[in-house]
This record gives sequence, structure tokens and C-alpha cells, in this order.
Amino acid sequence: MSNNIKYWKGEEELAKDPAFLAARKNEFPDALPLDEVLGEEGVELNSNRRDFLKFFGFSVTAVALAACYKTKVRHAVPYLVKPDDITPGVATYYSSTCGSCSSACGVEVKVREGRPIKVDGNPRSTVSKGGLCATGQAGILSLYDTERLANPIANGAETSDWSTIDKAVSDKLKDIDKAKGRIVILSNTIHSPSTLKSIADFKTKFTTAEHITYDAISYSGIISANKEDFGKAAIPAYKFENAELIVSFGADFLGTWISPVEFTKGYVANRIPTAGKTMNKHIQFESNLSMTGTNADERFPMKASKELLYLGSLYNYLAEKAGNKQIPVPQSGELAGNSIKKTAELLWNAKGKSLVISGSNHIAAQKLVNGINMLLENYGKTIDISNHSNQFKGVDSDTDNLLNDLSAGKVSAIIFYNTNPVYSHNAKWADAIKKASLSVSFASTKDETASACQFICPDNHYLESWGDAEPKAGEFQFMQPTISNVFNTRQAQLSLLAWAEATPKAENDPFASKAILSQKLSASPYYIYIKSNWAAQLNSNEAFNKALHDGVWSAVAESKPVSYAGDVTTLTNEILDSGKSNGTDLILYSQVYLKDGAHGNNPWLHELPDPVSKVTWDNYVSLPKSLAHKLNFKEGDTVNVKVGNTTLNNVPAMVQPGQANDTVGLALGYGRTAAGKVGGSKEKGFDTVGVSAWPLIASKNGSRSWFTNGVEITKGDESYALAQTQTHHSIEGRDLVREASYTDWKKNPAAGNDKEKTHVYTIWEKRDYRKDGSPNHLWAMAIDLNACTGCGSCVVSCSIENNVPVVGRDEIRLRREMTWIRIDRYYSFANTSKEIDGNYVTREKEIGQIDKGDKGDFAHWENIKVVHQPMMCQHCSQAPCETVCPVLATTHSTEGLNQMTYNRCIGTKYCGNNCPYKVRRFNWFRYNDNDKFDFHFNNPLGKMVINPDVTVRTRGVMEKCSFCVQRIQEGKLKAKREGKSPSEVKVETACQRACPANAIVFGDLHNPDSEISKLYKNERAFGVLEEINVQSSVKYMTKIRNTETI
Amino acid sequence: MQRQMRTLVLAAAISLSVSLKAEFKASAEEGKKLYEANNCGSCHAMDKKVVGPALRGVNDRRSEEWLIKWIRNNEALRKSGDADANALYKEYGGAAMNIFENLSPDQVKHILEYIKTAPKPVVPKTTTAAAGEESGKSDSNTLFILLALIGIFVIVLVILGKVRNTLRRLASEQDGTFEETSKGSFIKGLLPEKLAKMNPTVLTVFTVVILGGIGFVWSYKFGITEVGVQKGYAPTQPIAYSHKLHAGDLKIDCKYCHVGVEESKSATIPSLNICMNCHKGVQKASTAEGDEISPQIAKIYKALDYDPEKIGAEAFGPNPKPIRWVRIHNLPDHAYFNHSQHVKVAGLACQTCHGPIEKMEVVQQWSSLQMGWCIDCHRNAGIDAANNNYYAALHEKAAKDLKDNKNKSQYFGPDGKVKITPAMNGGLECAKCHY
Repeated sequence: MSNNIKYWKGEEELAKDPAFLAARKNEFPDALPLDEVLGEEGVELNSNRRDFLKFFGFSVTAVALAACYKTKVRHAVPYLVKPDDITPGVATYYSSTCGSCSSACGVEVKVREGRPIKVDGNPRSTVSKGGLCATGQAGILSLYDTERLANPIANGAETSDWSTIDKAVSDKLKDIDKAKGRIVILSNTIHSPSTLKSIADFKTKFTTAEHITYDAISYSGIISANKEDFGKAAIPAYKFENAELIVSFGADFLGTWISPVEFTKGYVANRIPTAGKTMNKHIQFESNLSMTGTNADERFPMKASKELLYLGSLYNYLAEKAGNKQIPVPQSGELAGNSIKKTAELLWNAKGKSLVISGSNHIAAQKLVNGINMLLENYGKTIDISNHSNQFKGVDSDTDNLLNDLSAGKVSAIIFYNTNPVYSHNAKWADAIKKASLSVSFASTKDETASACQFICPDNHYLESWGDAEPKAGEFQFMQPTISNVFNTRQAQLSLLAWAEATPKAENDPFASKAILSQKLSASPYYIYIKSNWAAQLNSNEAFNKALHDGVWSAVAESKPVSYAGDVTTLTNEILDSGKSNGTDLILYSQVYLKDGAHGNNPWLHELPDPVSKVTWDNYVSLPKSLAHKLNFKEGDTVNVKVGNTTLNNVPAMVQPGQANDTVGLALGYGRTAAGKVGGSKEKGFDTVGVSAWPLIASKNGSRSWFTNGVEITKGDESYALAQTQTHHSIEGRDLVREASYTDWKKNPAAGNDKEKTHVYTIWEKRDYRKDGSPNHLWAMAIDLNACTGCGSCVVSCSIENNVPVVGRDEIRLRREMTWIRIDRYYSFANTSKEIDGNYVTREKEIGQIDKGDKGDFAHWENIKVVHQPMMCQHCSQAPCETVCPVLATTHSTEGLNQMTYNRCIGTKYCGNNCPYKVRRFNWFRYNDNDKFDFHFNNPLGKMVINPDVTVRTRGVMEKCSFCVQRIQEGKLKAKREGKSPSEVKVETACQRACPANAIVFGDLHNPDSEISKLYKNERAFGVLEEINVQSSVKYMTKIRNTETI
Repeated sequence: MQRQMRTLVLAAAISLSVSLKAEFKASAEEGKKLYEANNCGSCHAMDKKVVGPALRGVNDRRSEEWLIKWIRNNEALRKSGDADANALYKEYGGAAMNIFENLSPDQVKHILEYIKTAPKPVVPKTTTAAAGEESGKSDSNTLFILLALIGIFVIVLVILGKVRNTLRRLASEQDGTFEETSKGSFIKGLLPEKLAKMNPTVLTVFTVVILGGIGFVWSYKFGITEVGVQKGYAPTQPIAYSHKLHAGDLKIDCKYCHVGVEESKSATIPSLNICMNCHKGVQKASTAEGDEISPQIAKIYKALDYDPEKIGAEAFGPNPKPIRWVRIHNLPDHAYFNHSQHVKVAGLACQTCHGPIEKMEVVQQWSSLQMGWCIDCHRNAGIDAANNNYYAALHEKAAKDLKDNKNKSQYFGPDGKVKITPAMNGGLECAKCHY
């Protein structure tokens, strides 16, 4: 390899933590948990002679009985009248729109026998272009959540009768309206034209009604800044695909910021180094090490409280070049290595092809960013304010005012729709709600806010609903039900219309009604309502059905030139104040999967390791190494966080490499108290997961601030072990990832991918499946490390597709996670330059040389580079696992697959031991039938999500990635049926299908024109652990950083 | 010779003229045959409206002349402007009767005679399904009683033996001839002389090995061929549907009902709307006298909540209740099987695995469905590689191998014919069926 970067997985590995070293040597941490397993059956393990005889007798009887065993009678219940579009055993796909957050990605729902089992991105969507994030993937499980309300609730009592509720609510509303009392609908961002119309209809009936938008994670700063600068209160559309240089100040645009899937698609469009194409460059300034920060070419740690100062400096540098008026502040805002000035130069060179964004919710910061982008002439090119985004519209001050009014008894009726302010805004809401004479929630579970309301009128899940969406101006998407209502729920829009006495009737159908799904569903009044609303644009049944089928319909207006009225020089005082900040910053961020916490009861999202820290099932305070050193913080310790008058005691914490000095981070979205059995519920006695950080949020100039300056961090009294997956395996100082700089790559496309070092030795005769295998197929995969952002969408997708169980926090601590694909995250110190060489090597043998901070220098801990590497079974042609299996349960297919046959496996775990990639997972429990694992797999409703094409494994067997063999079989069979040649077989694995960054390519090496065949010839291609010559079928593409040196 | 011929011709002519001269007499017997041969019962019943009107008394309602015209070609009659014909057509919602111009007017008269004399319906018998269930019950009852009896006999025997022994012992004690005989010597006494002389240890080991061996072989064979194997499983179904009648006698294509077989892994049990394609019209069993709706067909109507009295009822009722068929073929969850692969791609007949289904009154599991059974076929069946583009490479490779005399033997089946088997295309690999 042409570089001497040393990678490490976590602090423990770097510091040679004794516990880590001990655990590393023992792949399967415990002996068989016989006590626990037998305990399930009420049997004790300690036995004497008499017990032995009992067992013996029992076994003999059991065997004898088993011999007489007749399979129990099973029934088959066919349809009475088979719907035309359903054939049992064949999946049907429907276009829809993801309702998991208001980014509203287009989705394609896979339905088997009338139940949705998988959600993937809709490639026709102009917004998300076929991508879907982990949260969206996991959203299907909330359809089958046992916490969902089965019936509406009136004053604490469940009732199955909607009409009595409707009467009670509408009577009250009429009284309030008559008395001119205020009626408020508080919702998250709604951009569905039909929902907005139903609210408008409601407002027509009740003239005192108003609609206020509250987003827990809001973009109030951007919206208010744009209102002042451009006269338009909206988030612009960002076009990352047009940007050659992206500079982000704390915006986690690949993970959480506004529309991460859309931005990932744009980001990776120019991210793969290709001859004749410019690779984009990404510079990130931030305090936490965010997922976006891990992907940056250059990342500079920055105190969030000083962001204004740095933005001001950047503005002034650019203004100087442009000959514009500078902001009258002393040019003191500069970071190590003059990075602001250098960034300004790069930006100036990329004028019109650059994009500067900020994750701050401060109006001042966003106004500075607007000013900078104006100087760079980016409007109309990388930013479009005329065709803006609708994905977030909430303005924080509106909600603050509403809370004050509600507390003062000035609001008579309050209706909550998709919001949970008691949890995410302010606990005062719970009392304030009681002051209204009518309070209604549309929540589908009894969440924190709904618990305080008189009426809960549960809304449908989005997979049960009709709907439309306009995530970006002129770009429409549709939503259609893929299952009939699981519970006695009703779409919120219909509730509003019912109370406004405007329920649409079948006669209102603008076109001759023809059943779309079945008579029952088409009869939904809301379907008629939507059709009526679209009658002008889609003026026939066929046009409407086509739009529904495609899931999208566009009518984008041409962009208009912008008129900028902003003046950044008015921000002088705020910039000067920012420069004065002192002490420690607390950064409150939304975690990539849980986001604002609305999906707090989704076990898949809790189990998914954080893309950076790899922590599961908890949030934690991320500490910079310098602070940890000062606090004498050891792994497993906790900290107390004091912000103003609020103190959170004994919060789990960990040292986060890359955390900027004088800052600490804590994720929002945890600490739900009324989420349910998974996410925690006080009422039902389930522990909360993590701590709620919402009470620590401060408001600044009418916007919620994501950071607070001057917090006090002290060491807590308790200890707490976080369940972290990353250090479950050890890297043993081997070359697992390869990277090179863009400059080097331009000179030599094989830069960083030095084959000389590879020593190929083998004890076997070389097996060549290209020649001797099946003449039809040779399956292989390629993963581009340049594209992979570490977002985890593939992990959830794989778990859903392959029925991988959730195991929970305790099992993860025991290193028994079950996921078939994991994303390994490797750290390396950013400056491996010569002057400090020797101090920052992390090769195990040389680890003693590391500077442990005795000299008090922690600068290198701030500057971390990261590589994400998805890791799953490599389907080695000379697989070490296959040779050690005593029962031939794992064998090789002629098509290049490493096959795992569960019915043969006896659970010796030899294969797992011998696997160099540590991708085989042992199934320790009967997760699908064990109430200790009370997540979703053990109840009939949660089991509805099981993929019927994949075996549910029982305990005692090994399992691992199968390259989605069920999809391969399906693809091949389709070709056979149609008499097509093997090269026409189309197979997408679940991870590939889910990846929003197109990082994963799967295909057939026998087809020379396939994408995979081309990638295998790419100079960047390498196999992990090539030197041990296992001939893996997964190739990785060397990571190329857009820097001059690596 | 010529004379003989002439006589024959003459005789034939005479007999013909005699028959021609004979007066026509409509025969109910002949009419019944024609009624059945022309499937009149598909649409008509004697005492009930079905698709068409009830037939009893039709001879009184209409003139014979009119009836002959109507039956032979009702369309022509309607077009001729006949008021009755058009009224009738309207009454039955424009459901036109088939045209039977193949019937001669005399034949129609036979049929009308049959209608006139058709017997009145008898009191309905117990339903066949109930009968079946009962007989099933009585079968198991007999078996149980038999087993109980055997058990009692065994106990009685043992007790009698004990009593006999005790009595004998008492008797011998009284006689004073009682002597303690060891068991070993008792057994030895039973053995032939040669064996009795053998070393008891050797004998014991020998016996144990022999018995153990037999036991092992038996249990192995039992375990392999019996445990979990349900070959011959033929449960009583909620509807006594006969494949023999539908697939065998009526020759309905299997795919007409099992619609998924060419596209899905499951052949699919037909949904009831498929049944109703025919059974909206066909309401009574072909063998039944009278017009009573067949109790089996009535189960379909009940499941769909369909009212056969409403002619041409389109929609089914509001309270349908699905039918719970008993699953006959139960593959374990970890075994993947796809019907479309075998039926559509391989072109196998259903009978290959399901046996002579067209002869089965009650469906049974014909094949063992064991893995060995699958594998045997995958080793020996031939793929029609030449006619499916997907197998082109495989076909090419085989042709080349045969030409080059390379690995030639594998292409010859036991019958000496050249073939490409599924095994050659990886059909024996684990992940073809297990994942």
C-alpha cells in the first residue's frame, strides 16, 4: 500500500483495554447458555442421579412418541373470491409514499397475500430516486406494532363506535365555534395537497380554526432567514448533484438533515472517481463526528457556539475576493491550519458550482450562509429557492406562542396530528392541554401527548392510507393502501372531514368509479376525496390510475431568478457575541435512525448500531478525549450534564474520537416514556431507552438551538456499559480497507490498491468456478467504499428480507447480535504526517508507542478520518468455513454461493471460528417464540412482517448472508419461464436495493456486460484479506478522498 | 354366395320398412338418456327454477309443437317474433338457451315424455359428507374397540398364567415336590441342545447383537421411511370434492382451477369464484334424482353466502365464511418447492408427483415427498435444454463434451439415452431448496 495509515475500530483497541484483549481471544463469549434455554422450559440444569434417570426415561419416551408422531392437521384457506391482482405465492408491488417522516420519499411496497412485508425506494420518485433510509425501511414494523390502538378512545375508555365519538367531538366543536373559541390543529409539516384541503374544509366549517405546524426537529432558522432575505418562508431545494464543492457547517445532510436520501443521491452522483468526470469535494466543519462528517474529504472540528464567527470570516474572505463590503468584525475567526481561508479559496474557484450549508437553527447563521451562497452565485445552480422544498415548514416561535396561549386558557380546542409536543417540546404541554375544553389526538398509539387528551382518534398507518404529497414544489407523490385496516382506525383526514360534516360520498367520484384494489378499499371516502381533488390535473380514471401506479406526477414550474434583500453586515453584534463564547458546548443532535423519536417503539431502529459510535439501544454523551482525560473518565463511567437549572445525572457516556474539544454531544429522540414495550412506557412498566435530551434545548431568537454553551460536565457515580457492536471483532492490524487521495488516483487509478503486498498461498488446489462451475451464473458483489456513507439502510433491509431477529441490549453486550450484514467503521488519525509519525501508528504491535495524552496534547483525537465498510459473507470460492463443517451443512454451489443449510447444521460453530471475516452468526435462542425477546418476533402481529420465502431459523444453528438466494431463485425462475438467457436474469439483493448511495452492486460474472464484471476489472477493486487467498466473491473499491495527500 | 347376399339385403330392407311403418311412440327411457347426454340438467331442474325454468308440467304449459321449435332453436323462434318465446327470454334476463338442432323432433318428443313421467323427488337422504364422517368415525371406533379387546385379552392371559403358576406352586408345595428353578435354567430348557451347551456369556452377547441388529435396521428403516412421512394421507375434506369426477370424467384441465401452478410456487387451492363459474348453473349432482341442490355444492353457496334462488345473482352475500380445507401436502418450512418451475419450465404432468389424481375420489398424498424422492428425480429426469434459451449454455457444454468425449458418461441415463439432468445444472445443491 502506498500509504502508512493505521486503522483501528475503537478506543479500546487503541488503548489495549484488558477486557477488550480478553474478549477478543474468545469469539463465542460464553458456554452454551443451557441454564437460560432450559429455564425457558422450567427445567433446572443442576441434576442428580435421580434427575438423570428421569431425563433418561423422558428421552426414551419422547423418542418413542416421536416415532408415533403424526403431523398435526394443517389447514389451507383459499380466497373466497380471488382478487385479480393477487396470486398466492407471488408478490405484488404497489407504489406509495413513505410516511415515516415528512421528507416523503417515494416507496415501492412488496405485498404477499395481502400483507406488506417490505418497503423499498421507488425509482420513479423524482425526490428520492429509488433510495430509502433505515428509518423508512423499518417503518413497516410500526404497521404491525402491538402498541397501536385497536379502537378510538373517549375520555380514557376504549370504544369501537366511531359515530359516538364523532358526535361528541363535533358537538363540542360547534359549541366552541359558536362561542368564537380558538380551535387549533397542531401538526407536523403537512405538504399533502389533499390533507391541506381537508384542513381547509375543516376551517370553512369552523371559522375560528387555525392550523399550526410544529416540527420537533425544525428548520426554523432557514425558513425565517429566507423570509427576511428572499421574502419566501421556505427551505430551498438543494441540488448536491450540481455541486463540485460542498461545504457544510454542522449539517448532517447524509444522515438527518432535511431530506437525507435525496441529498445522498445527489452527493454520490459525482462521488465515484471516474475518468473524464470531476469528483466532488466535501468539507465539513462540525463539533460532533456526524455520519456526514465521516464521509468528508476534509473535516475540521469546530465549536458550534463559534460557528457564526467562522461563517463571518468565510464571508469576509469571499467578500474581499468579490469586492463586496465586508462585515465589520476583526478577522479572528480561523481554525487550525487556516482552514477557513483555504476553504474560501476553494469556494471562490468553484463559484456557481459550490454549495455552502449550515445545520444551525440560528437565523443569523442561515443569513450568513445565504450571503455566502449569493457571493458564490450558487442560486439557480445548486440552490433553488423558487421551486422550494416543502418537507419542513414549522416555525418554532409559533409553537412557543401556542403553548403560552394554551397555558393561559386562550385556546378552547386543540387537535394533535402527528405531533408529540409533551415529549419533544415541553412537559408543560401536559397541563396546558387540560385547560382546553376539547383535546383530540390522532396518534396511533397512546403516546405522551395522546395520554393527556380527552379523545384519541387513531390514524391509519401510512400503508393503510390513501394520500398524496408534494415534498418539493411541483413534484407530487401518491400514497395507496396496501392492506386493509389492521385495527379499527380511521384516516385523520376523514375524522376532520366527518367533524366538518364534509365526508365525501361515493357519488362525488369524479370519474366512473372502477375498483382499484378491491371494492372495499375503493369505497374509502378519502379515496373519492383525493380523486376529486385531482380531477383538474388528472382528468380521467386512467390518468389517475397511472399516477397512482407510478406513485409520482410532476408539474415543476421553471425556476425564477431570486431577488436578494439580505444584509449580513447587520449581524455584526451576533458574530462578535459568538466569538466570546467560552466553556463547553453541548450539541443536541438527532440520531440517524431515531430522528425525533417518533419511531421510539421500533426495535429495528434501536438495534441498528449508530453509524459512527456503533452504540445500540441507548443514547450517550460523546466526550472528546481531552475532556475524558480531565475527568479521569474510564469506559463504562457515566457523566452528569448540567445546563442552566436542568441536570441530567448519570448519563451513559463514551469517548468519541473526532469530537471537537470543549464540546460534548447527546442525541435527541430517546427517553420516551409512553412509546411502548420496546421504547419504554411508564404506564406499562417498561424501562425507557436512553435519556430524553429535549429538556436541555434552549431557544434563541425564536428558534430552538441545537447547542448550548457553558454546560457543566462532571463524572457520575454510577457505571453503565453501553451495548456497542464495533469492537466485537478485532482487526489484528491487518489491511482491511484501502484508500488513496484523488490526486494520486488521477496519476494512477490503482493508487492505494497495491497488489505487491498480497502474498497468495494456499493449501488447496485452486478451485476456479469461472471454468468449472455452472455455465449459467457466477454471482458476485462489489461495494464502493467511496459511495458508502454508512447510513445503515442495507442492514435494516437485510434484516427484514431475511427474517433476522432483534436480540436486545443484553445480548448485544454479549456479542450475540444477529445481523447478517454489518457496517464496519474504521478510524485513523487524520494527520499521519511525518512530524508526528511514530506517535500515531495503531498497528497492534506498535500500539505501545502511542501518545496516550500524557503530554496533554489531544489535537490528534479531534482529527479523525473514517472509512465505512459493509461486511457480510464474502462467499469465498475457497471458503475456510466449508472445510471445517463436520456435517457438510455449509457447502459451495456451482454458481459461486456459499450455501448454509440450516436443517443440517448441528451448531458446532467451527465455521464461525474459522471465518476470517467473522460474518457467521450463531442463533442462540428461539427468538421467534421466546418472550424474553419481547420485540416483535414473538407475537402474531409482529410475525406478519416475516418474509415467507426465507426460513425462520431455530436456535442452535449458524446463519449468515446468503446473497439473498431467494431472490436469485426468483430471478432465475422468471428467466426460465420466459425462456430468456441467463444474462437477462435480473437479481437485486436486499442491501443493494436499499442502498441510497448505489454503493452495492450485485450480479453475474459470467455476463461480461454486467456492471459487476466491469467493476471487477476496475483498478480500485480489492478483496478484503486477499492475502489469505480465500478467493472471496465480494470486491471493494478503494476509497478515494478528494485531497492532495492521504 | 350371391344368393345369400341377396337374402340379407332383402331381410334388412324388410326390417327397415317394418320399423318405418311402426307408429312412433315417445319413450321416457330414451328421453332420459337424451336428457342426460345433452346435459339438460346443467341448466334445468324438474321442480325448480335454476338457470332456466322448472320443467315439470311444461307439457301442459306449452304446445308440443312450440316446445319442439323452442328446444331445437330458440333463437330462430324468438326472431320469428313469437311473443311467448320473447317473454320467456326476457323473464330469464336474456340468458339464451343453447341451440339443439342436433336433436330430431322425435328425440325432443322423447325428452318431453321423460319430463312428463319424471319421478317426483324422494325424501332427501342423509348427506354424503355426513355419511363419510360417520363411516370415518366408525372406522376409528372399531380399531379402538379391537385394540381394547386385544389389550383385555392380553391382561386376562397374563392373569390366568399367574393364577395357573401360583396354583401349581401351591400344589407342588403341598406335594412337597416344590423346587426353586432358576430362570436361566428355565430358558436353557427351552433352547435346542446345541445352543444350551454354549457359554452363556457368548450366547447372551450373540443374542443381544442379533436382536440389536434387527432392532437397529428396523428402526433405521422405520425412521427413514415412516417418521414424518405421510404418504397415503387422505383426510376427509370439508367438501367431498371429487377429482375423479371433475378431472377424470369431465376432463376439466387442472390449470382451470389451480391457477397459480404456472406462475407461483403454490399451485393454489381454487378460490370459490372459480367453482361458481360452473356451479352457478350446475346445482345438483349428476347422479341425483330430483332437483335437490347437491349438499356438497350447497356448501359452496353457504361459504359464499350465495342465494341460488336469485337467478343470475352477481354478488355474493355479506356473510361469507371461507372453507378450511385440510392440507394434504405438507413440506417442512425449510424446504422450498416451486410449482411453476416444475410445471411451466420442466413441463411435468401433475400426475408425476400427485399420482393418478384423475382417478381419485378422495385425494391422497401419492408421493413420499422425502428428500431422496426429490433427489432421485433430479438425478434422472431430463431437461429439455434445447428448447429453452436459459439452458443454452448448458446444452452447448453438453454437446461439446459429447463431441470431445469428455465426462461423457454423465450424460447417459440408465436407459442409455442422452440427457441433461437437473443435477448437472446444480439441482442437487443445498441452496436450491434450503434457505
